[in-house]
Amino acid sequence: MNHFVKGNPDLCIGCRTCMIGCVVAHEGLHIFEVDPDSYNFNPKLSVIKTAAITVPVQCKHCENPACMAVCPEKCIHLEKDAVVVDTDRCIGCKTCVMACPYGAIEIVPDSRNRVQIDGSPRMIANKCDLCIHSKRGPECVRVCPTEALTLVTEEDLEKEAADKRIAAAKALAEMNGA
Amino acid sequence: MGVPEIEDAKVLMIFGYNGADSHPIVARRILRAKQKGAKIICVDPRVTETARVSHIHMQLKGGSNMALVNAMAHVILEEGLCDRDFIARHTIGFEELESFLNPYTAEYGEKISHVPADTIREAARLYAKGEPSMILYGMGVCQFSQAVDVVKGLANLALMTGNFGKPGCGIGPVRGQNNVQGACDMGALPNSYPGYQNVNVPEIREKFEKAWGVPLSDKIGIPMTHVPDRVLKEKDPEKQIHAYYVFGEDPAQSDPDLAEVREALDKVDFLVVQDIFMNKTATYADVILPATSWGEHGGVYTCCDRGFQRFRKFIEPEGDLKDDWEIISLISTAMGYPMHYENTEEIWDEVIDLCPSFTGATYEKLEKYNGIQWPCRSKDMEDKGTPYLHKDGKFAHPDGKGRFFCADWRPPKELENDKYPMVLSTVREVGHYSSRTMTGNCRTLRNLEDEPGWAQMNMEDCEKLGVKEGELVKVLSKRGYCMTRCLPTERVGEGTLFMTYQWWIGACNNLTTSFLDPVSNTPEYKYCACRVEKIEDQDWAEKHIRDEYEEIRSQMGIQSAKKEGEGR
Repeated sequence: MNHFVKGNPDLCIGCRTCMIGCVVAHEGLHIFEVDPDSYNFNPKLSVIKTAAITVPVQCKHCENPACMAVCPEKCIHLEKDAVVVDTDRCIGCKTCVMACPYGAIEIVPDSRNRVQIDGSPRMIANKCDLCIHSKRGPECVRVCPTEALTLVTEEDLEKEAADKRIAAAKALAEMNGA
Repeated sequence: MGVPEIEDAKVLMIFGYNGADSHPIVARRILRAKQKGAKIICVDPRVTETARVSHIHMQLKGGSNMALVNAMAHVILEEGLCDRDFIARHTIGFEELESFLNPYTAEYGEKISHVPADTIREAARLYAKGEPSMILYGMGVCQFSQAVDVVKGLANLALMTGNFGKPGCGIGPVRGQNNVQGACDMGALPNSYPGYQNVNVPEIREKFEKAWGVPLSDKIGIPMTHVPDRVLKEKDPEKQIHAYYVFGEDPAQSDPDLAEVREALDKVDFLVVQDIFMNKTATYADVILPATSWGEHGGVYTCCDRGFQRFRKFIEPEGDLKDDWEIISLISTAMGYPMHYENTEEIWDEVIDLCPSFTGATYEKLEKYNGIQWPCRSKDMEDKGTPYLHKDGKFAHPDGKGRFFCADWRPPKELENDKYPMVLSTVREVGHYSSRTMTGNCRTLRNLEDEPGWAQMNMEDCEKLGVKEGELVKVLSKRGYCMTRCLPTERVGEGTLFMTYQWWIGACNNLTTSFLDPVSNTPEYKYCACRVEKIEDQDWAEKHIRDEYEEIRSQMGIQSAKKEGEGR
């Protein structure tokens, strides 16, 4: 089963350290050495604020991803329990953006400023890849100062459901007793 | 109390303090307190991150703090929630407070603060019944023309309910700047030597004269916020300020009424700026003294809980720069008073020997115990400092008793009017700390937020004005204007405007007033009348922002990628 990162709005303080951590994890330390205007800042998650909620929103790594189903170039695939875009082959057609029910995909200018044959910026689909390139796992989870983000694995999900079933069984027993 | 104890409070009243934006690490402790079962009361005109997770949010009208605090005290009194035993044994002035509070009912509180009377009652009950209850307050208390009164009013609440001198209670000022506690401890105040020893007390003056071998003045100096007046309006040349030495501060960005500050910086005969990076004030300087930054030098900080902490150098500074203390020594020597130290420990030893309340805080103990909270009077290793300043209800007055304090609410100095119908309050945002001298040079923080910043406005106000998110708008007050982007949000009330003060172009201090609290001399950053205007030609406005940014950066000698690109 694919993993995903879950945000907890009761703990999120909206500091956006996760967004910076995400960019550093994908761009590498070179962004601390170059001029800030010379690369594109493309976090793969966004902190959303409404009147009552603050929480990061990112890809749920669906088991049957709509984005993968609609991609005409077949450049979205499953890899190491994650849904991943092959940005070298992405044509920026935006179909995945429209298909995603979570708004978790954006079309952005390539972060390394690659250009097309006519010199215009190369645009690509940008989404969470669970930092599958890194042994440390998702960087957003690692850097969050309030531990508001957690990686949910198959076992975690199983356990959560099992705990709920036990709670439900106890509630049933109480109802019968009463 | 110490900062870690926040997690042990059972009720936390967070008054005019937005931890998530100002100090995320303190905000984490607030969340942990909640996870451990604490009830949270948040007092803030905005829906801050703390307000969002609080049990009671008193979304008061800005500038009504004193009225709300008095109304809470009234409820505690009326409902018999006082700690009579604590009051009898440890305080003076309770009878006066009782009769003073008479008219200040919860209904009175509602009239001024717009917080429903029942919510005030509920919050007062929750605070009074907490075992223990802690108050944290921030700039939403301090940056008003009635500030010190409100702090004393909050102390009333803690005194009435016996919330002093034991773990997990008290009232905690969560300070506005890094090491502002340390600056005050070291005597960076107009009236005191290090260790809060007043300059006008003859024995103290003599002690310092003897230690330093020079005659010293017994006159109280000039508060920083009085400097523009002393430069621009003082007629007596003897009292005029002619030279201004600024370090670790950016008054041309962070002081109120910037037009006046700029005029003063232009007029002053000689301006020296000592800082780690270029800033707005430095563009007016006759001499710039580049200093090392955190990481390039060591020393001692004081946390807001009076805790001295040692910090260390871990990288060698590059370029033509020196540690602050070396620069001061060299200038002093050049001015005829030879000053020489080998290292910061030598300076620290001199400080603690001259300050009785710091004497025991040796480097050895700072090292061994990971910090010491003053007072720490003995060098004996057993004296580990003072976690509770008012331990067992013993207060600083000679008789050891706490004093109740009575103050009527006073409205802010500049109220909304026909021409300027909205209220501006200046606030912080998490990515940029204080003025942008440090964080404006951090690439990724600039990526998250950059010039000209945002004005947080109520959605309905935005609709009436016909402005959308991200649109550039002009904000004006009696004193000036600036351009910024509009951020419609449900988190702020109608008729209010919140802007962060670090932006060079969206400089909201062009608008703020220089009215001060009479005791602390802190300006009323949280309240001035303003209005917002729509800009029809957005293309022009965007270009104007880009050009102005480029110009300020080139004034500061910052090379941009664009310029470098052109050179290639």
